[in-house]
Amino acid sequence: MKTVNLIGLALGLLLLLVGCDQPQVSRCESCHAGLELASPSHLDCVACHAGDATTDDKKLAHRSMLGPRNPSEPASWEKSCGSCHQDQLTRVKTTLMTTNRGMLHNIMATWEGPQEQAFSAQPVIGFDADGQPLELTGIGSVDHLSAELYRKFCALCHVGLASKEVYAASHAAGCAACHFPYNEVATYQGDDPTVRGKWGYSASHQMAILPDNQVCARCHNRSGRIALSYEGLNDGNNGLVPSRDGLPGPEMISGARNITQITPDIHHQKGLECIDCHTAREIMGDGFSYRNMYQQTEVRCEDCHGSGQQAPQTVAITRENDPVLRESRNYPRAYPLGSEMVQTSKGRNFSNLARVAGQVQLQGKRDGELHLSKVITGTPEHQIVGHERLACSSCHSQSVAQCYGCHTQYDRSALGEDFILGRKTPGQFSETEDIRQLYPFPLALDQRGEIAPVTPGCQTFVTVLDEAGQPEQQETISRYRGKRQLRFAPFFGHSVGAKALRCESCHGDPRFLGFGQQVARLDGSLEPLVRCECNPDNPLDGFLRLDQGQLTAPAAVTRENSRPLQAAEIKKIWQVNLCLICHRDPKDVIYQQKLDFTRLDAGLAGAGGTR
Amino acid sequence: MLVWLALAALDNPLSAAESCSDCHPVALAAPHAELACQACHAPDQATAHAQGGPGAAEACVGCHAEMAGIFQHDMATRAPERAFVAASFGQHDAQFFNRNCQGCHVSSCRDCHGSGHQVRRPDTATCLACHKGGAVGWDYLGRAPREDSLRYQRGPKAQGEHYLTMRPDVHAEAGLSCADCHSKRSLLTGRKSSHSCVDCHQPDPKIIEHSIAQHLEKLECYACHSAWSPQEYGSFYLQMIDSPARDYFYVRQNPRSDTIKSAYLKLQQEPPLGWNQRGRLSPMRPFIGYFSRIVAGEPEGEENRLVTASWQAFFPHTIRRGTAMCEGCHANPRRFLHEPPQERVYRPDLDGLKLESFWNQTGQQLRNGRFLNQDELAALESKSPAYIKAYIQKWQSFIQHVAP
Repeated sequence: MKTVNLIGLALGLLLLLVGCDQPQVSRCESCHAGLELASPSHLDCVACHAGDATTDDKKLAHRSMLGPRNPSEPASWEKSCGSCHQDQLTRVKTTLMTTNRGMLHNIMATWEGPQEQAFSAQPVIGFDADGQPLELTGIGSVDHLSAELYRKFCALCHVGLASKEVYAASHAAGCAACHFPYNEVATYQGDDPTVRGKWGYSASHQMAILPDNQVCARCHNRSGRIALSYEGLNDGNNGLVPSRDGLPGPEMISGARNITQITPDIHHQKGLECIDCHTAREIMGDGFSYRNMYQQTEVRCEDCHGSGQQAPQTVAITRENDPVLRESRNYPRAYPLGSEMVQTSKGRNFSNLARVAGQVQLQGKRDGELHLSKVITGTPEHQIVGHERLACSSCHSQSVAQCYGCHTQYDRSALGEDFILGRKTPGQFSETEDIRQLYPFPLALDQRGEIAPVTPGCQTFVTVLDEAGQPEQQETISRYRGKRQLRFAPFFGHSVGAKALRCESCHGDPRFLGFGQQVARLDGSLEPLVRCECNPDNPLDGFLRLDQGQLTAPAAVTRENSRPLQAAEIKKIWQVNLCLICHRDPKDVIYQQKLDFTRLDAGLAGAGGTR
Repeated sequence: MLVWLALAALDNPLSAAESCSDCHPVALAAPHAELACQACHAPDQATAHAQGGPGAAEACVGCHAEMAGIFQHDMATRAPERAFVAASFGQHDAQFFNRNCQGCHVSSCRDCHGSGHQVRRPDTATCLACHKGGAVGWDYLGRAPREDSLRYQRGPKAQGEHYLTMRPDVHAEAGLSCADCHSKRSLLTGRKSSHSCVDCHQPDPKIIEHSIAQHLEKLECYACHSAWSPQEYGSFYLQMIDSPARDYFYVRQNPRSDTIKSAYLKLQQEPPLGWNQRGRLSPMRPFIGYFSRIVAGEPEGEENRLVTASWQAFFPHTIRRGTAMCEGCHANPRRFLHEPPQERVYRPDLDGLKLESFWNQTGQQLRNGRFLNQDELAALESKSPAYIKAYIQKWQSFIQHVAP
């Protein structure tokens, strides 16, 4: 009898330790009737929230809860989500959306901040891109205007921090930021009457295993504003018209901005969502801390569409622990062992892209829709000699959001909320702006050495007011690479079109090369029309000048290896016009071979001379 | 003015023996230095004071009879503007003109010549007091209007409005004032200007563009040489009655009117081109106007009614020696309101603005001319041997300057 009891006890303990089933005695639902199940596999309240499920006393039950609203926030994520999803949590801790390391790196570089260390929103230990142990310094301890800019402006969008006060731009902290999304007003609207209507809660208690575009748009609606552009939304002028039902319109988002419509990205038109291109590794991290977003990102256009020379690469799944098998279980169609998965630019499997019957087939992760990718490998227009360095986005962007002139004022006489320190401190930032542009957009060399679109990043003019509100620094351009200069940054605008720009757009319109709006003079000058207030001879909307044939670059392109095009390159680009005027088809055979300038001159003498 | 009103209210307490200057120590400057007060003001004090102020227009015209015609000029009557509003916004709000268009009109000689005691020639700043914002005038000095949002209200100001710094007209840089091309006589005789481009400049045939006969026959000089123009796409007038939402629109609040103004998109780029009344290609500017009447927070009638989608051929005052390259016109259908649908970026149609595109002629008109038709565009874009020859010469001559 005693033995039986002991065995029973041991079994009971074992069951408790395994903790798979709802405890028999849970009293949580006696109050939280109607609360949505987080997911079919997340059944036990206490497993995530802790607390005491056995008592009817609210205070006693809640006293030891994690969070208590949100157990996934960084203070308790080890004990909650991390207790089961250790791999994901380890990755998320050093992913860019948590650390904001890339953002901080770029702010430091362009606001004259300290650049020796690697910074993070909160101090964290992890591994650098090359696998070496790395300690990221918390930005909260840095006393510099650049650090304060981050803490008072940018920090609200990092995954570690909850915000509930920004319309259509609030999110929870930690894992819940993406997996328990807020609605526009951060208010619970589910079926639990004890929480319904409360502010600072996810819209529902049902977990978003696969977050939709709205989740991404909570943060990615400013600066590059890719979540807007992708869906064909533009917050360009904030004139708040056309009105809707007597109120500012047509749609409003955070910061009293109105959004109007532009042509959306072709992938959006086809029904693809953010997560259909962006892998879990680039969003949640892959265990390594990267200095810049482009290093963490692994999807490239060529992965699905091929390059001129190389078709998309695939590898068959041969291991039972391949992440594709696990991740795709959450899609309408799971991929079995042996599936030929398409490779990312980092040589890893996409979990929703396979070669099926010889074609590259993408599965919408949420809706299961199948999309066939158009592979361009071998087509003549994608094998033009001279276009080897051209990024797809140079020709296939329909628009690129460009904000010119970012005038930032730091007022010491006012208090500003420091989101990292969690309190108001002296010094308040505010911003005004000069102009927006969507098209045309300038091209320059990016960090990969490819010719790609760039956008102002940033054209910051800094004004500092002292404690008495008097200017101690006015409209200053900060030093970058040892020189006071404005900056542009390589940028993928997320407004891809199926149809490429016309050849003469880039070759014939100097705005695409970074000259801004200008007029051409007979002496080989391009006279800029939109003037920088600080340096009126320089373009505000460009980074190149041509004065009597002399090319100079009054502004820089940020990121290592990036730069504006040089005179010899620009000369070549313009010389192509001499061919294009007759050979207008990009498939023309003459573009498949290197230009023979001797033959060209002879030909031109005929065309331009005596013909 | 206040002093005058106060004195007038005292019901002429001065005796006949006192002279004007006892109370009004006014310094007269040339050319009126020698004139007696009564030469301009009413001869007797009672009438002078009763008028409530000096320098009534009639007084000037008493000597300068030939100038009386200025009060029949558009600047005084605003006949074209009245006619335009009557046919557009006036159809939706009969008082629109009276409420919203009172800021700029000539009602007195002093509007341009300053105080009668110290008359002066109007300078450019005088003209720009009215000829500002998106109208021709500001552009001459390189000023472009900013977006109708608080976020864009920064930088230098003129006439109480912030502007964007653009490159000014080459004539402004050379020190020419408005009056150098727009004489008083030209205004009086109803002409736009006293000088045209070719009065001072002869096109040099050695310049490739000038060597092309069609260019000289079919283009206004300023079709190529206007470097940019301020362009507003979607001008919204919201008549807000008892509607607190009015406060959201911080920028264009007219305290004298119940109507506020905002814009959908402002650009300051190369101007679109169309045929003007002389049958030449000319820059043109859009007036794509919408009207809403919002009472107690609710739209009354259709919200965002498209009231006018009309363009006007005009002469932007942004002349530069340089021009666009050939592609600026010959490979730029958007500039002639022939934008291919697949090249649209802005989608006003999806925002309910009832236009497929701002750069599509459908539903729009050019009030003082006509748009380029499809055949004319095809001719413009055709690559004839003559075009190819000139094109190659142009690019070669430009490229040769570029130092590698």
